[in-house]
Amino acid sequence: MKLLKGRVLKGRVQKSRASTSLQKKLSISLTLGMTFLWMLALLVAVFVSQIKLNDLFDSALAETAQRIMPLAVVEILNREDITQPQNIMSFAAHDEQLVYLVRDSLGKILLQSHNAEPTDFNQTLLEGFSSSTTHRFYGAWAVQNSLHIEVAELLIDRKEAIIELALSFLWPLLLLVPLCLLGTWILVRYSLRYIIAYRKAIESRGSGDLSPINVNGLPTEILATAESVNNLLERLRRALEAERSFTANSAHELRTPIAIALAQIQRLQQEVPTGKARERAINVESSLRKLSDLSEKLMQLAKAEGGGLLSTEQHDLISLLKLIVDDRKRSSVTCNATSGLVIDMTLPKSGVFMSTIDPDAFAILVQNLLDNAIKHGRKNQPVVVGFSEQGELSIVNAAEVVPEEPLKQLRRRFVRANTSVQGSGLGLAIADAIATGIGASMTFNSPASGRKEGFEVKVSFPLMIKPNDKVAK
Amino acid sequence: MRILLVEDTEGLGEVIREQITDEGHAVDWVLTIAHADVSLRSVDYDLILLDLMLPDGNGLDLLTKIRHSGKTTPVIILTARDQISDRIKGLNAGADDYLVKPFDLSELSARIAAVSRRYAGNPNPIVNIGALGIDLTKHLVYRDGATINLTAREWALLEAFIQRPGTLLSKAQLEDHLYAFGSEIESNTIEVYVSRLRKKLGSDQLETVRGQGYRMKLL
Repeated sequence: MKLLKGRVLKGRVQKSRASTSLQKKLSISLTLGMTFLWMLALLVAVFVSQIKLNDLFDSALAETAQRIMPLAVVEILNREDITQPQNIMSFAAHDEQLVYLVRDSLGKILLQSHNAEPTDFNQTLLEGFSSSTTHRFYGAWAVQNSLHIEVAELLIDRKEAIIELALSFLWPLLLLVPLCLLGTWILVRYSLRYIIAYRKAIESRGSGDLSPINVNGLPTEILATAESVNNLLERLRRALEAERSFTANSAHELRTPIAIALAQIQRLQQEVPTGKARERAINVESSLRKLSDLSEKLMQLAKAEGGGLLSTEQHDLISLLKLIVDDRKRSSVTCNATSGLVIDMTLPKSGVFMSTIDPDAFAILVQNLLDNAIKHGRKNQPVVVGFSEQGELSIVNAAEVVPEEPLKQLRRRFVRANTSVQGSGLGLAIADAIATGIGASMTFNSPASGRKEGFEVKVSFPLMIKPNDKVAK
Repeated sequence: MRILLVEDTEGLGEVIREQITDEGHAVDWVLTIAHADVSLRSVDYDLILLDLMLPDGNGLDLLTKIRHSGKTTPVIILTARDQISDRIKGLNAGADDYLVKPFDLSELSARIAAVSRRYAGNPNPIVNIGALGIDLTKHLVYRDGATINLTAREWALLEAFIQRPGTLLSKAQLEDHLYAFGSEIESNTIEVYVSRLRKKLGSDQLETVRGQGYRMKLL
């Protein structure tokens, strides 16, 4: 249930992260905002340029009319027949941007530029600026309003000029937008680096890790929250420690009366002769042992699920493993159930694997896996304990192959693959709770790796957490 | 062996004392660190069984004090604290073994025997002295393939000689080894047990050094 809750929570976190990535949101919104402002500035620039260009073009149009009119008057007055229209020939072939007509007061054409099309011009003789759908005009009178000149310019030329101007502004912008996006992405990522490190530190820790998270470098906007989280973690750690201390004290208080009862009943067995009374004493001893084992396992389960499975200090797991195995070997010397027990141990050459796993949690994990291997392993066949350089613990015992379906159920409480052997059915559930709490992965294999039969448990411990990820505030 | 048991839980201490006494050892049982301190000053014990959570303090403090005083007496911690960190603390403080409650009385006996063998410099539970074969774990003595039955007291006396092979042991030393405080000892008790052992093991095994004590011959 707890595991399920953890998975649901993780799923929620991932979903929420995907929809509200600050880095993504900032990068895209900053780039879009900047692009929008650039586009607005470009439109304003084009609009202003258009007005100014129109003024300039109009000025050029008027100036052209003013310059051509005296020449046209001289030209017309010097003719023999002034009523004959004349088309001004060009010196060289070219397209005229400006065309003109010189007409008398009745609108008769007296002079025109070579590309001028009279139908394009105003039929009414107007003074000053005017426009048609295709042209812009400037008209002026001369010689006492007897001659009228009208210069025309294609509006499309003006539009082309404006479009070219806008495009010349737009091309660099198209190049700058991706550069801006990249730059913003890098800048935002750089600015958020401590927040990203903070997020990773939270993500990488197991559910049992309640040590403070490094808050160095966090921006002030989030620092107060991060410090509050650390305070909360500290309060939670203290609460769990109190609970753990209570569990340890309860275990102590429970063990003492059980120890008295067990010792007394063992003495009683020695004192009473063989018979019913002795059989009863043996039954009482057996029940006391079961009670002792069960209370022990329940205490271990409470610890395994209660948190505080990681320590702020590092410990060498290999030294601890040697101590636990050595203790188990010594216990087996006198215990009838495990007499003749052989535990083969393979350890890495380096001989050291540092970890922040709480030594007591590690001991409970190994003791339960060893108990399981000894109880369910074939008698007079060794239990093989291995620890690799990469931090992988493996415990193998000789046994019939466990079918796939029961193998999957073994992590569950009170589930036993082999009911002919006495046990609480809690050992592997405790080991699983600890492995989950410390962020280790635990797998069951049957047959064992490289064998045709047997049962193997593998636990991969996380590599040492770097100290700078775990600095107290 | 002369054993000091420091255990404040009366029901348990009583049973442990009975069990060890039945095996032929002399046990002085005290309930507090203060009493243990007094006993340690007056007797040179062969082994100490030490509980940790005692009414007047932590047993580890007593252990540290013993080691600081230079005494190498073997110490087995008996405690209900099962955490590996406690075990490491105990071993680092100088304990020779660590037994978590509840435990089998037979396991306690085996641990006592194993620790005392280690201290005697012979971790092998089978000892051969002359024609005798002695199984220290099973408390059995063989001669020419035949088993020799010894009482608990006779075994305890033999064990005293095995622990110090070839060493001359005075009558007072042997009394200290066999009897706890307050035990009523007849003046000729040691002579009686030595005589019985000679009869069972063979007269050539134990040598009397007049006016000084007894010695076990190695060959």
